[in-house]
Amino acid sequence: MRNSVIERITKEAGKKKDIFLITGDAGFGVLDNYKKSFPERFLNLGVAEQNMIGMASGLGLSGFKVFVYNIVPFVLYRCYEQVRNDICYQNVPVTLIGIGSGVTYSPQGVTHYSVEDIALARTLPNLVILSPSDPIEAVKCAEYAIKSKDPVYIRIAKSGEPVIHTGRVKDITRPVVLNEGEGVAVLFHGSVSTEVVSALKGVDRRPKAVSVPMLQPMDFSSLEKELKAIHTIITVEEHFVEGGLGSIIAEWIVSERLDYRLIKLGIKNEFIHKITNNAGMRSHYGISSEGIKGAIEKAYGNG
Amino acid sequence: MADGYSVENCLSISNRVRRSILDLVHRTKSPHIGSSFSTVEILVALYFNRLNVSPDDPLNPERDRFILSKGHACSALYAVLAERGFLSKEDLELFAVDGGRLEQHPNMDLGRGIEVSTGSLGHGLSIGAGMALAAKVDKKKYGIYVLLSDGELNEGSVWEALMFAGHHRLSNLVAFVDFNKIQALGFTKDIIDLEPLDEKWRSFGWHAQTADGHDFEEIFAALNSLSTEKPNVVILHTIKGRGVSFMENKLLWHYRAPDDREYADALKELLK
Repeated sequence: MRNSVIERITKEAGKKKDIFLITGDAGFGVLDNYKKSFPERFLNLGVAEQNMIGMASGLGLSGFKVFVYNIVPFVLYRCYEQVRNDICYQNVPVTLIGIGSGVTYSPQGVTHYSVEDIALARTLPNLVILSPSDPIEAVKCAEYAIKSKDPVYIRIAKSGEPVIHTGRVKDITRPVVLNEGEGVAVLFHGSVSTEVVSALKGVDRRPKAVSVPMLQPMDFSSLEKELKAIHTIITVEEHFVEGGLGSIIAEWIVSERLDYRLIKLGIKNEFIHKITNNAGMRSHYGISSEGIKGAIEKAYGNG
Repeated sequence: MADGYSVENCLSISNRVRRSILDLVHRTKSPHIGSSFSTVEILVALYFNRLNVSPDDPLNPERDRFILSKGHACSALYAVLAERGFLSKEDLELFAVDGGRLEQHPNMDLGRGIEVSTGSLGHGLSIGAGMALAAKVDKKKYGIYVLLSDGELNEGSVWEALMFAGHHRLSNLVAFVDFNKIQALGFTKDIIDLEPLDEKWRSFGWHAQTADGHDFEEIFAALNSLSTEKPNVVILHTIKGRGVSFMENKLLWHYRAPDDREYADALKELLK
């Protein structure tokens, strides 16, 4: 997905002279085309994330449309206060492209995981949070960010994710229905979508499957329309089970007194010491296709 | 440009600014009067003798940019912006009061000449570096001026920005350090010694000068000797609480707002 996003931005940079791409010494091979085409509007800031975000704000305040590329901890965690004060507080249209969502980089260790980024980003007013489920959504997210007058955070895994949508995706600001179903709905975002798709193939009764690429602001009224004939919602995300989509839905259900049963799947809120690859990690935390299948069957009362 | 203000004019403006700061702080029981008093001359020098800014056209894209990175000295900034016509008397009356307009750390308001939201130390120089880079890419002539505190230089982010600006030779960036030698809990030399400060900046690729931060002749001389090849810093030797004898060099006045009696005593000194 990272390539889809960067290619889209590169294409746009040919038309729009205000696009500026910066990195904090990350993105080996990914940014070469952009850099070659627009060297005067590209900069590697080095391993200095606080300065990188402050700089991005200064460029943005001077009229540039800035895209910052780095792995999630280095666009959001190390420099959280710069994101808060320099970008969101002043509502500067900077887009943070965070790579390595969830446990994509297993087993590189906790320093390189991003399992609490949505929880953090949700505390920032003005910030739009996008987590595309496949390369089609990723391109749409890039297009949204290009046009946005607000700051945007795009959360993506890496490269090589398959396309999950068979039809066109018109609008990523609303929930995107992957397939219809009755009684149970699976809501998901990000690269863990492949596990959802594969779980759907192995169940007797197919639940409604809905990708939710825009997590903030969430279009609750569209969501409620999509969930009309639903009694149980299952949220699936490669993020801490507390603080992400599951929590957003839980807060909504409570504040609106809605009558849904909610099953939240995600990574247990703990420092991860398990050593395994991405698939093994998903399996360990119950967000592999098997875990999702189990939750679906339980939701239909067969589990 | 608001040039042509003589040293004598600047001195009388500075005196009015100090009285205005005293009023603001006393009336609202705000902190940081000492940190504001030490910045008065550099702010007056910039706003009345250097910056190409105008209250009649505050959004002009060609304007110079000033960032008060030590946002806690906002009462000095507000007082100078009022003298310069960016803020009205009513704006000042709405400082730090219920339903007010101006906070105790600046919030970006371009129409009122407040370029960037500050208050957390270690942010302003990076933002300024971004603006300086933008101006270079856009081939614009405007300058970016950033005022930092000495305690602020404890922040690692400042040195990230220093390295960056030095490497990219952002000669349109001018930093000032309000080196009053007192930070929140004591003397800088006892907490994190900054010396040799000008050598540190030089070794990061900056053109570094020092000046008496309360002497307009020295400030103007430094502003007239800026490098056109490298980013510039002027380290201003200043006195915390400058202008009121019982506040000078006293840590207490980082926090304390004068009571009625202290206010009267301070005003008497400033009216001399």
